[in-house]
Amino acid sequence: MEQILFRHNRPGRSVSFAEYRSEGGFTALKTALKEMSTNEVQQSVIDSGLRGRGGAGFPTGKKWSFVPRNLPGPRWLICNCDEMEPGTYKDRILLEANPYSLVEGITLACYAIGVRHAFIFIRRGYEQAAINLRRAIAEANGAGFLGENILGSGFSCDIDVHVSAGRYICGEETALINALEGKRANPRAKPPFPAVKGLWGGPTVVNNVESLANIPYIISNGPEWFKATAATPEAAGMKLFCVSGHVVNPACFELPLGMPLGEIIEGPCGGMRQGSRFKACLPGGASTPYFTIEQWDVPMDFDPVAKAGSRLGTGGIVVFDQNTCMVAATLNLVRFYARESCGWCTPCREGLPFVVHLLEHIENGRGSEEHIDILREHVKHLNQAFCALAPGAMGPLDGLLQHFEDEVREHIATGKCPCRN
Amino acid sequence: MPKLIIDNIPVEVAEGTTVLEAAQSVDIPIPHFCWHPALGKAGACRVCAVKMLDGPVKGIQMSCMLPVMEEMVVSTTDPEAMAMRRSVIEWLMINHPHDCPVCDEGGECQLQDYTIAGGHGIRRYTGTKRTHVNQQLGPYIEHEMNRCIQCYRCVRFYQEYAGGTDFGVMGSAGRVYFGRFQDGPLESPFSGNLVDICPTGVFTDKTARFRARYWDYDMAPSICQECSLGCSITPVARYRELLKIIGRRNDAVNAWFICDRGRFSAATPVNNPLRPRTPRIEGREAGWDSALDAIVQRVSELLKNHGPGCIALVGSQRLSLEGMALLPELSTIMLADAPCYFCDERERVQTSAAVTGLTGAISASMADIRQADCIAIVDVDLMAEAPMMVLAVRQAWRSGAGVYSIGETVDLPCECTAVATLDDVPLATAQRPVIICGTSGFTTARQYVSLPMAKGEPVKISCILPGPNSFSAALFSHEHAAISLEQAISSGRIKGIIAVEADIPPELSADIPVIAALDWRNTDTVAAAQIILPTTAWAEMDGTCINNEGRAQHFRKTMNPGLPVHGLNPAGHPSHLHRTIPPGGDLRPAWQIIDELIVRMGGTRTTEQLNGKWEKLRHLDAEGDGLPIYEL
Repeated sequence: MEQILFRHNRPGRSVSFAEYRSEGGFTALKTALKEMSTNEVQQSVIDSGLRGRGGAGFPTGKKWSFVPRNLPGPRWLICNCDEMEPGTYKDRILLEANPYSLVEGITLACYAIGVRHAFIFIRRGYEQAAINLRRAIAEANGAGFLGENILGSGFSCDIDVHVSAGRYICGEETALINALEGKRANPRAKPPFPAVKGLWGGPTVVNNVESLANIPYIISNGPEWFKATAATPEAAGMKLFCVSGHVVNPACFELPLGMPLGEIIEGPCGGMRQGSRFKACLPGGASTPYFTIEQWDVPMDFDPVAKAGSRLGTGGIVVFDQNTCMVAATLNLVRFYARESCGWCTPCREGLPFVVHLLEHIENGRGSEEHIDILREHVKHLNQAFCALAPGAMGPLDGLLQHFEDEVREHIATGKCPCRN
Repeated sequence: MPKLIIDNIPVEVAEGTTVLEAAQSVDIPIPHFCWHPALGKAGACRVCAVKMLDGPVKGIQMSCMLPVMEEMVVSTTDPEAMAMRRSVIEWLMINHPHDCPVCDEGGECQLQDYTIAGGHGIRRYTGTKRTHVNQQLGPYIEHEMNRCIQCYRCVRFYQEYAGGTDFGVMGSAGRVYFGRFQDGPLESPFSGNLVDICPTGVFTDKTARFRARYWDYDMAPSICQECSLGCSITPVARYRELLKIIGRRNDAVNAWFICDRGRFSAATPVNNPLRPRTPRIEGREAGWDSALDAIVQRVSELLKNHGPGCIALVGSQRLSLEGMALLPELSTIMLADAPCYFCDERERVQTSAAVTGLTGAISASMADIRQADCIAIVDVDLMAEAPMMVLAVRQAWRSGAGVYSIGETVDLPCECTAVATLDDVPLATAQRPVIICGTSGFTTARQYVSLPMAKGEPVKISCILPGPNSFSAALFSHEHAAISLEQAISSGRIKGIIAVEADIPPELSADIPVIAALDWRNTDTVAAAQIILPTTAWAEMDGTCINNEGRAQHFRKTMNPGLPVHGLNPAGHPSHLHRTIPPGGDLRPAWQIIDELIVRMGGTRTTEQLNGKWEKLRHLDAEGDGLPIYEL
């Protein structure tokens, strides 16, 4: 299968600058700076159908087009590498293998949007990725692919790596901007959106690592080629799926968007472990409602997954077998979100611990029927939180109540967890 | 102006208004914690949920975050919205202690009100409550973090509005903590406002803790007497004791807040049990009649021995307008020269120059300061002389105004450029420039009013005056061509002084044989006087004063005068004294005593204190913005 982002991968080490260049690296940048206008670069990305790989799936080129062109003062690009969604590790794998696609992608994006200075906001735990990126930026600078007057085009661009103190909420773009400014990582009210008023009040684009890393290949090979790499006509491009859980071969794979869930598990993942039967999975990271065997054939692309009642999210697939207690799994996830709440708004700060409290009761055999009603109330009311953290946290709970209500009721009726001995 | 419908009521409000404010404008209350008119929206508490039935936005929305749009149809009573609001209250009550009976906020607590109004009564969460360690925040503010509902009002006020740096928010998720890095007194001179803006009992006024419940408060709209700005306040009293002071909204003056000096230092002298509380002659207690007659008798003797002009009537810059207005009549009847409203000659000259030099067009209100885009501060220590002006300057700076200081360097909670003279300030190119000065700098500042402007409005001036009613004193002084007491005494003719709430320097009155003092404070003048007539303090009477802008404001009587019950000697129990006036409460407003003296000197009793051009102030609404006297 053709690989895009993983095409330069070397076993056991990251690709070198020379290797990346010898395999066509930075030709996209050369082409763009020599032959394409900024609008053409942006149009290519729009035409490619590339949708944001960070979770929300917003079309990347469209996001760029929201940046006002005529405002005075600097505008900014931020690469969001605060990858903290449980079950998601694609950006780490990518950057540990190859930081150059991202550096080239950021430079191209900066060219398209007219950004002089970009930031990579990376979480503390990603030490090797940060080392790789700093090295890649230095090498790119040395070779004239970054800095002043890149390749004699008159376009200048710098990239800074900001290693953040790291919180889940920093993945939310406005909280990330606050954190980058040195403020508390609370999300900001929208509107104004960052594209209009973001970092230090300037127009700001925040893109995911994987989205940006794809740009060089879109520019080199054209939007049509990129689109065609997907598995279905509706989907566009390849996607990094990071699989974990009860499969034979849990790893990060670059697969065509739109590949059915079952094929991913049966194919690259090598099927379920010995003795394990597929019970459910998180299709796109910890904040997405569960898929069950009924969704086995759903094409893993943004719209089909949404149509099936969940979200493609980050593409972090967490597979559960028949021995998994879905109440315990959900409890584990919501506990994470309760801890990672920034504490700004009431539903998230107080509602999530309430949900944890109720799930603990049910899991420990002290649940009651009334608890299910209260949980449903929370699924509804936590949608009214300030940002998407609490609604995301309700994803798995929503899935639990939709697909596994019987299992929850069994906990309550028998006064114990049926999956525990 | 967008038109919308809220609970079937058509509403038309200005562009940019939030749905919450639009509802308030037609008296539909929507619960809110984090939203505050002065601090704006935060979107943190989520209790202001409403249902959008129709229009450009649908479904449950936070009314504080949503600007009004044409054709919106809003329901505040939709079951879905009410269920959401009930959930928020339930979440907040998960950790909020059920300590209302022993909480000082009980009865005036927004959380208590909305919990009851929202219908949350049965606790469904069975876990324990989160607890915090409280901090010692100094002598004025009590900290009880367990009660916190994380509305972020305190930190938004303290850091953003007031520019404080020693108090903030720490932690995340359910461990959010509002306080200092370590115990210690709050450094901001506006810290007391935390008490007012906290919607529950995290910050309470330590000086008045456990003294009274809201429904027992004696309250009235009043005006702060601590400096010349005349901020609106609500004094709170109980059992003849002034317990605490709460800031009161006045958009033209202090907006929402007051300074710590106004809040925490005004009550002590009023409550002082040792302040003048009975008329005295030569140190001995006397009845009102004998004391008043004693003054009349001594004045007559002096007039007989020394002829006209031997009496000096002395007013002051803290005397109310009513008292000042009656003084000239008493002067005439005592064959004295015009009353001395000032003791110090320089102060009289400078204050009169400032007050007579101000016009309605050039006098800047505090609202003007907040909206200014260029502010020059000339030789005046605002933090010492008019603290709330500092807060107004900061608001202008937050909106982008340039702030410049000339002369004495001042420590402001905003960026401030020191320049040599007013010529170095870009006043001419500003849109709404203001000069803030003291009386000494007024003449210089006044010249800039005629500065040719590039495109903006002419320069306005805010002149900080020495006392709470200096403006009135200067007006009367000017009107009656009065001289200062210093000048009067230097003529050598003065043999007797009647001091009306006047602080006469001891060296000035040292050689005067007869001194009578009308006052409620223990001043040097009271100590030197042979006859003392006790007056009511500002909190114990109705009155009028004019602030530095020239804005006449009415203050109402908060409490009956008398010795505070708190601190009375219990040995007198059971009391066998039956009287109509409480102990220490036989006090009269200064103007009444002046009037009584006029009558006893053969004049006619006054029915109205405010006559002539002051007539318009008789019915001044104490809860309104006041009235600039330029409009009289």
